[in-house]
Amino acid sequence: MLLSQVVNGLSQGSLYALVAIGFVIIFGTMNLVTFAHGEVYMIGAFVGYFALGVYHLPWPVALAAGMAAAFGVGSLIEKTAFRPLRGTGHMPPLLITIGLSIMLKDLAVVIFGAENRPVPSVYETTIEVASVPVSVLQLVILGLSGALVVALRLLLQSTKIGRAMRATAQDHEAAYAMGVNVHRVFNIAFALASALGGAAGVMVGIYYNTVYPAMGSTAGLKGFAACVFGGLTSVPGAILGGLIIGVVENLTVQFVASGYRDVAAFVVMVLILLLRPQGLLGKRLRAA
Amino acid sequence: MGLHAFVPRRENSLLWGGALAAALLLPAVLRSEYVLNIAVLAGIYVILAASLNITNGYTGLFSFGHAAFYGIGAYTAAILATRLGWGFALTLPAAGVAAALVGAALALITVRLSGIFLALVTIGFQEITFLVTLNWIALTRGPMGIPGVPPPALGGYELRGNTGYYYVILALDVLTLFVVARVATSRVGRAFVAIREDELAAQASGLPTFRLKVLAFVIATFFAGLAGAFFAHHARFVSADSFRLDETFVILTMLIVGGLGSFLGPIIGAVALVILPEVSRGLVEYRGVAYGLVLIAAILFRPQGIAGVPGIIQPRGLLARAAAGEELAG
Amino acid sequence: MSLLEVSGLSVAFGGLAALKNVSFSLEDREIVGLIGPNGAGKTTLFNCLSGFQVPDEGTMRFLGTALEWRSPERIAALGLARTFQTSRIFRCMTVLDHVLIGLHRHQHAGFWAAIARPAWVAAEEAATRRRGLELLALFEDWLLPRMNDFAGSLSHANRRRLEIARALATGPTLLLLDEPTAGMNPHESASIVRLIQAVRDLGITVFLIEHDMKVIMNASDRIVVLDHGEKIAEGRPEEIRRNEDVVSAYMGRRGTRA
Repeated sequence: MLLSQVVNGLSQGSLYALVAIGFVIIFGTMNLVTFAHGEVYMIGAFVGYFALGVYHLPWPVALAAGMAAAFGVGSLIEKTAFRPLRGTGHMPPLLITIGLSIMLKDLAVVIFGAENRPVPSVYETTIEVASVPVSVLQLVILGLSGALVVALRLLLQSTKIGRAMRATAQDHEAAYAMGVNVHRVFNIAFALASALGGAAGVMVGIYYNTVYPAMGSTAGLKGFAACVFGGLTSVPGAILGGLIIGVVENLTVQFVASGYRDVAAFVVMVLILLLRPQGLLGKRLRAA
Repeated sequence: MGLHAFVPRRENSLLWGGALAAALLLPAVLRSEYVLNIAVLAGIYVILAASLNITNGYTGLFSFGHAAFYGIGAYTAAILATRLGWGFALTLPAAGVAAALVGAALALITVRLSGIFLALVTIGFQEITFLVTLNWIALTRGPMGIPGVPPPALGGYELRGNTGYYYVILALDVLTLFVVARVATSRVGRAFVAIREDELAAQASGLPTFRLKVLAFVIATFFAGLAGAFFAHHARFVSADSFRLDETFVILTMLIVGGLGSFLGPIIGAVALVILPEVSRGLVEYRGVAYGLVLIAAILFRPQGIAGVPGIIQPRGLLARAAAGEELAG
Repeated sequence: MSLLEVSGLSVAFGGLAALKNVSFSLEDREIVGLIGPNGAGKTTLFNCLSGFQVPDEGTMRFLGTALEWRSPERIAALGLARTFQTSRIFRCMTVLDHVLIGLHRHQHAGFWAAIARPAWVAAEEAATRRRGLELLALFEDWLLPRMNDFAGSLSHANRRRLEIARALATGPTLLLLDEPTAGMNPHESASIVRLIQAVRDLGITVFLIEHDMKVIMNASDRIVVLDHGEKIAEGRPEEIRRNEDVVSAYMGRRGTRA
């Protein structure tokens, strides 16, 4: 029983981790926080729903479509909302993302209605691993999340754009002086982070067999809670945070009460922010 | 002198006295229950926006937990009224004190954090408060909410109907705005603004910044609690759903659009954004879209809002100055 | 007892020593310059003295009171004020408000007084305002005519002056000035030198970081020289000018701009 809850927690946690990694990329590269990430995740989820549930395309296509849609939306958001506010500090872009979040969520309700939309099941079989029941779907999700993280790492380490992103994250003024097109790097970083969020959205839709307009809010906030583990700047910290939150949530449901499930993430987040704001794995943040 | 500099003083008493008189006469002039209902709603949001302005506007502390304090006030009033039979005259101050106590506790442990970290902690607090309210069934009846809160009563005579509610909320608005004006024009208010502008320089100038930030929180949350008490006795049903992060965003949008850091800003913002969705009834379901667009437009084109302090948002850093066309001197 | 006694002060950032065993003292009514090549640790020293940096080792005693572990506001209350290397003014506050902020700790009107406004509050505000205007008047006619302007609209030189005015308003016995003439032309720098002398004549000791050698040589009674975090010389301007260690510290570093 305990172990199966842990497995549940790890699968869900890996999806929180993807959202959290998106925040880390954005904060690490651009020193900004976005409250619209949950809605990008939701957009990805809905695109995935349409691909899979309405047009009956194979799920990898749905995943790719969701990621592509999220990538596009992210790129658009960065270009129209963040670029004009370059250099104004944390708050103005944050406020814009709040506006976007309010707007996108309401638009989704108006267009799609507030109710849940069913997403067809993919992989309904369960297998036993060391006498613990694990669904094939959970394995697929864990695998996909892992693959995306590895792909991200390869991108950052071995490609020109990845190096540009890392240089910009270190010191964007120096990178600018060295000829890096910082505006383009910011745009790609944001779009990439959004794509990861979109992927998480599609997979959540498949995992819970449902999508709905408000699904982004809690996911976004839990993504924050997860990336706080890494002091907002560490990808391994975000992954660890996501997994821990997923597991703690499931254990809370099992041993405390199902209603308090969501509290776990926020209590952990507040504790870390108060006791160790640089997170468990992050570096000390330089002053703005 | 711009709109942002207007604060009620003895010198401009003709102006604000006239506004007050107009407000008092409103129900007699506009004899519409519908309009009065909107006026009451605007009145609630004026208190919420003006109180949020104390922390987020004057002091520059980005708190995202305001709706939680509104909710604490509302639940305190509802519980005291339905379980102990307290009247509005008692539940109102009790709600304010309850919210302020929680606000003080939160502030004491969190104001040493700055910027985004404070924002995240207050969001965490907001969510935790919502979830605890939803689940502490013994105290709050959880998702079922608390029904049957009686309307405010003055000496046994129950105020029903929008006119009565209107005058109550008007009185609360006058109280709130009186305190805000007094604080803004005082030594304390000056200190708040210095903290917002540059906390390190404020410290170096001898300001006890920790104490001042806690004070800002206590003031802001007290009035949010008062608004909550009124809400409880007006809506007569309290449920956790009304006090989520979304509600904080609504209040914040009103504050930003109206203008951060000024006396008139929250008033204009609250009134404008309460009226906005009503202007075209067909678009009521697009309220979220409208609010989002207005907030985005404000930040992009006029970050100080309609009546806020100009220059509250300034470009900094190499890239911004380059974007603005300045030369990159060594 | 000296006004300020610093002994064995050391600060290291991640293995890199910013200050190494620095010792010196400052007396009443003197102007002391603090010079050294870029990165010598001058601003770090100021940060330690004003409570923004906790030293790893050493002591700082101001009028006999230890400064380590005190908050910046407590240190300002003790009578040690400072300005910053990059102007830290309150952009959206008026010039007059800046000195009123400096005078904050000499007032007593708190929250309840702000609400009730008993008669003494108005009297206190009026007296504070008068004192603020007196302080602005020290700056020839640079600040007083602009007393109701937002600080964000001031020229660079006036912003530096405003920061000094705000620091003076706190009523210090020791004033730390971090590169007050940075970005000023010779005419403006000369007015700052006059100001510093006027401040000293008011009974305040001035400890002054500067890169402009003319200013330092003209204004200082004594000079302390830092290089790579260590004090390499101390003495009168003529002595320092001839000191070989000082010359080679600057010569050796001439190619470097931080």
